[in-house]
Amino acid sequence: MNRFIKLLNFEINRFSKIYAALLAIIIVLQFIGVIVESNSYVQGADRMMMENRWTQEELIKNNGKAGFTLIMDSFWFAGPIAIAAAALIFYIFLIWYREWYGKNTFIYRLLMLPVSRYSIYFAKASAIFLMVLGLVGIQILLLPLENELFEAIVPADFRDVLAVKDLIHSNIITSTLIPATFTQFVLHYLAGLMAVFTLFTAILMERSYRLKGILLGIVYCAAVLAFFISPLIIPAVLDMGDFFYPVEFLVLEIILGLIASACSIVIGQKLLNKKVSV
Amino acid sequence: MIEVKNLTKKYGRRRVLENVSFTAEKGQITCLIGINGVGKTTTLKAIMGLTPYKSGTILIDDEPLTKTSYEKITFIPDAAIMPPSMTIRDAFEFMKDFYGSWNSARAEELLAFFKLKEEFRIAELSKGNIAKINLLMGLAIDVDYLLMDEPFSGIDIFSREQIADVFTSHLIEDRGVIITTHEINDIEHLIDKVILLDNGSVLKEFYTEEMRSEHGKSVIDVMREVYRA
Amino acid sequence: MEITFNNRDPVYLQVVRYFKEQIAIGNLTAGQEISSRRELAGLLKINPNTAQKAYKEMEEQGLITTERNFPSRITTDEKILNSVREELILEAVSSFIASVRPINVPLEELIKMVSEKYSQPEE
Repeated sequence: MNRFIKLLNFEINRFSKIYAALLAIIIVLQFIGVIVESNSYVQGADRMMMENRWTQEELIKNNGKAGFTLIMDSFWFAGPIAIAAAALIFYIFLIWYREWYGKNTFIYRLLMLPVSRYSIYFAKASAIFLMVLGLVGIQILLLPLENELFEAIVPADFRDVLAVKDLIHSNIITSTLIPATFTQFVLHYLAGLMAVFTLFTAILMERSYRLKGILLGIVYCAAVLAFFISPLIIPAVLDMGDFFYPVEFLVLEIILGLIASACSIVIGQKLLNKKVSV
Repeated sequence: MIEVKNLTKKYGRRRVLENVSFTAEKGQITCLIGINGVGKTTTLKAIMGLTPYKSGTILIDDEPLTKTSYEKITFIPDAAIMPPSMTIRDAFEFMKDFYGSWNSARAEELLAFFKLKEEFRIAELSKGNIAKINLLMGLAIDVDYLLMDEPFSGIDIFSREQIADVFTSHLIEDRGVIITTHEINDIEHLIDKVILLDNGSVLKEFYTEEMRSEHGKSVIDVMREVYRA
Repeated sequence: MEITFNNRDPVYLQVVRYFKEQIAIGNLTAGQEISSRRELAGLLKINPNTAQKAYKEMEEQGLITTERNFPSRITTDEKILNSVREELILEAVSSFIASVRPINVPLEELIKMVSEKYSQPEE
């Protein structure tokens, strides 16, 4: 087995318990959400029909049909995703700092491995990326199951039937995680990777220059952000309206994202090889 | 041979090491001595590429450090370096995965020598046992050079004896060893060579037996002269 | 094996002296096999290079002999073995005389005291 793969495997194993807990939170909360929201819709509908002496048709005419979007817009659905996202963002920091702090200073071993320090860096970045993809994948698998449960609870007459694909595109979170077009998909995940690399570089700046490094890291993150969103800002500031065609904009963003990522990787490597201190 | 030439390092404006030069031979135990905070540990870290330095040259068998050097030279800090959740067995597996030169038979031999068990968890090891496991892992990678930071301080006397036993046994073979210490008492007869450090500079470099033959002085005598001067 | 080393004399010479004492009192006899350098280092808790140097010194003085790939042995040369005993006795006597001479004791009185003391059991 290649040593990079071994490192990657090691990184993923180290996070596996927390990761499993995150998955459990998502699955449990979302299913509870489906049950709670569906039942409360059904009860609400029954009550309204009773109180207003409506027929089914009248209720639907006045209130519209229920869709699974009802659940996707609730806290039950978005909450666990937010928790997982926060945990992973936190882990971007922890994946480095845990090596230095705590009773056991694993960074000694890590930096003394007879492998390129690129491998260490990319194993950490890949671990985070794979864990994000894993969560998104699980969410895609969960959606049709949750939809089935929703359909089982809410009688057919009261609900709209939407394909899972349409459900994904109707919600801001899921449409960000799983965009409609391939180019957008590339852009979103590239932006994600860029963010990971940028934060890694900022962390390594802090690890190399300590207090001064924190400042340097913040400035660096701000610079990358400004660089990346410049196609949005510059036309707005110069009052140029929609300067780019959407496709041009996407391609431009992808190029900027690639440049920023490459820049972060190169600086990160230099720091890890020459400046970082145990 | 490990050759350190004109090693200079600063933390901000403070000089931590200034023109530190010395050599440590294979087959010898070289001891960096100095009271705390004089740059002993930093010197070892610099040799291992674990901390940057401003200027100077460090050569290991005439070559600068690269990633493959880590199969030949290792550093043993005075604290645990494997994740606490690992058992000793897990730690061995990890080492075997990454070090081509990992010698399982030697690891087993040393484990028995130290009377430790594979199922012990790193988190549960005493400071003395951590020092032993660290030393064990260094020897099992089959390195030519072992750099140990304060291997004898803060641990129980029996662990100390066991570690000293390794230094005098066949297990050390003709490896080169550099140890740091601020207390020479127990190990005066174990070491070949002394590098006296103070304030980030080398004050004196000498062989203990030569010092005794030619000047009739013990290491402590020399330390007294040098530090009181 | 227990030796208390002092820190100011070369350790390898102290080891050589220890072997001489063992030969003189008959704990080590002609032709007897002795521990390897590594074993000796372990037993005495001294640097293996120092043990090596002690063996080299003993070989040079003819106290031990080493044939290729065999453990070292105490020499069978009676002349050398006897001289070791003599050497140690002479050395002790010389140092005794050196310390007693400044007191200016008449020789007869000294000999009488020595023979009395020497025949008393050790405390």
